Amino acid sequence: MMTDYDVIVVGAGPAGSIAAREAAKKGAKTLLIERKKEIGAPVRCGEGIGVEHIKGMDIELTKNDYASVINGARLVSPDLKNNITVRTEQSKGYVLDRKSFDKHLAMEAGRAGADVMVKTEVIDVIKDKDNKVKGVKVVSGILEASSDHTNNDVYDITCNVLIAADGAESRVARMAGVGINTIRPLSEYDSGYEYEMVNVDCDDLIELYFSNEYAPRGYLWIFPKGKDSANVGVGIGGDKSDNGIFAKKYLDEWIKGPMHERFKHAQPVAIKGGLIPVGSSLDRLVADGFMVIGTAAHQVDPIHGGGIGLAMKSGLMAGAVAGDAINNNDYSESFLKRFENMWNEKLGPKLKKRLLLRKAVEQLNDNDFNSIFNTLDDNDINLLLEGKYKGVALKVLKNRPQLLKSLKALIV
Amino acid sequence: MSVKIDKDKCIFCGACVGVCPVMALRLNNDRIEWDADKCIYCGNCEKICPANAIKVEKK
Ligand SMILES: Cc1cc2nc3c(=O)[nH]c(=O)nc-3n(C[C@H](O)[C@H](O)[C@H](O)COP(=O)(O)OP(=O)(O)OC[C@H]3O[C@@H](n4cnc5c(N)ncnc54)[C@H](O)[C@@H]3O)c2cc1C
Ligand code: SF4
Ligand code: SF4
Repeated sequence: MMTDYDVIVVGAGPAGSIAAREAAKKGAKTLLIERKKEIGAPVRCGEGIGVEHIKGMDIELTKNDYASVINGARLVSPDLKNNITVRTEQSKGYVLDRKSFDKHLAMEAGRAGADVMVKTEVIDVIKDKDNKVKGVKVVSGILEASSDHTNNDVYDITCNVLIAADGAESRVARMAGVGINTIRPLSEYDSGYEYEMVNVDCDDLIELYFSNEYAPRGYLWIFPKGKDSANVGVGIGGDKSDNGIFAKKYLDEWIKGPMHERFKHAQPVAIKGGLIPVGSSLDRLVADGFMVIGTAAHQVDPIHGGGIGLAMKSGLMAGAVAGDAINNNDYSESFLKRFENMWNEKLGPKLKKRLLLRKAVEQLNDNDFNSIFNTLDDNDINLLLEGKYKGVALKVLKNRPQLLKSLKALIV
Repeated sequence: MSVKIDKDKCIFCGACVGVCPVMALRLNNDRIEWDADKCIYCGNCEKICPANAIKVEKK
């Protein structure tokens, strides 16, 4: 059967735009669909990204794409008395301007030959009589109805491979009904709230604040966008807001309370927030004619909740495999599994290891953190970031043997 | 029983949409739509909301 497109990608975030670019580069007739009327806006993100995530993506960052260059990170203890500063190649990065960055990536998809459709929302997935994914149903504010078109603004668009890159909401995989469930227990999500603020003194480091009091099972952050402006936010465990406490309230109380001096002149110029899946990637990423990628597939770094870099990596792999599928005339699950295997091979072990660290850190209370900040130095943090846990965990245990149970998984 | 969204507090972030197990919620630009026929009143949306903008009323 002739389809409208070879590949349809839903969602023009970092995952979807890179996937569409890669599929188009392979010669596949590709459509990128985005619900928003302007790609990139509104932003729901802290916008921090490590340089290593940009490398290998074949993107030339323009000056508009980022607000600031970051040379490292400062980690701060719950009592605010201690901090550890890391300045390594690994910890360098950017605070992006995602309004510009996301649009830039979508333009690259367009330049590679993909069609781009904004103000168009996928409301269902179309299947054929064998229950195979065949395309999408959309409501669109930009498609022109043909004369025989009666059903308001609803249209069907068909394809051979559908890629769901619809971010944390992740409804498209569920619409597809191919046995990929994207819902996890609330403890595997963070709930985030953030202000972009002016009159906040900043240097060239991102700042992470650990505190069970103000960010249960998460952390607070200050990501500089300039010398006097920053994204200031909190992520808390998804099962931690209840009974009148929620992410916004934690953040407000932190800003007004212990951080009052730093923020006494600060003014919010934007509010951002949202859902961050922080467990592990979905096990199943493909079905016949179907792939799910990026944050929609829970592909987020379990330690810091960053998802932009992994979304692009996922898009890079999935777009290429989708393009190959078209060129081989094989859209079966077993062909598309090349993407799933690639993901597991390249990132599986590393992410599994980082999840281990998250699970251990989640068990620490503020006294534990305060004591750990007295014990560890920047070199130890580097070791942790490199996945070398054992020596660091033993060092912590020397001072705090009572943590043996929490840290046991890190020393075997 | 109903699910109420406080439009003044809501920041249209879609967090509730992502944890609704039965797809009873949809983010439509600056609006959250709730489908009473699908809702199973599980409370996920209320618990995840970073802005305290959605309430599951069980009476
Ligand atoms: C408060 C907060 C702070 C964060 N901070 C950081 C950070 O500092 N660094 C970092 O790396 N990550 C951060 N993240 C995570 C990061 O924002 C995401 O992981 C990243 O955007 C995922 O990219 P994506 O392409 O997978 O999805 P998204 O960027 O979410 O893109 C999905 C796109 O799909 C569109 N879409 C959804 N449904 C449909 C539909 N039915 N039809 C058409 N289009 C649809 C959406 O409009 C959206 O544009 C943060 C997240 C939050 C909530
Ligand atoms: S989670 Fe809360 S703030 Fe976000 S869209 Fe839903 S109701 Fe609105
Ligand atoms: S109560 Fe549960 S089922 Fe109902 S809208 Fe909220 S999350 Fe969905």
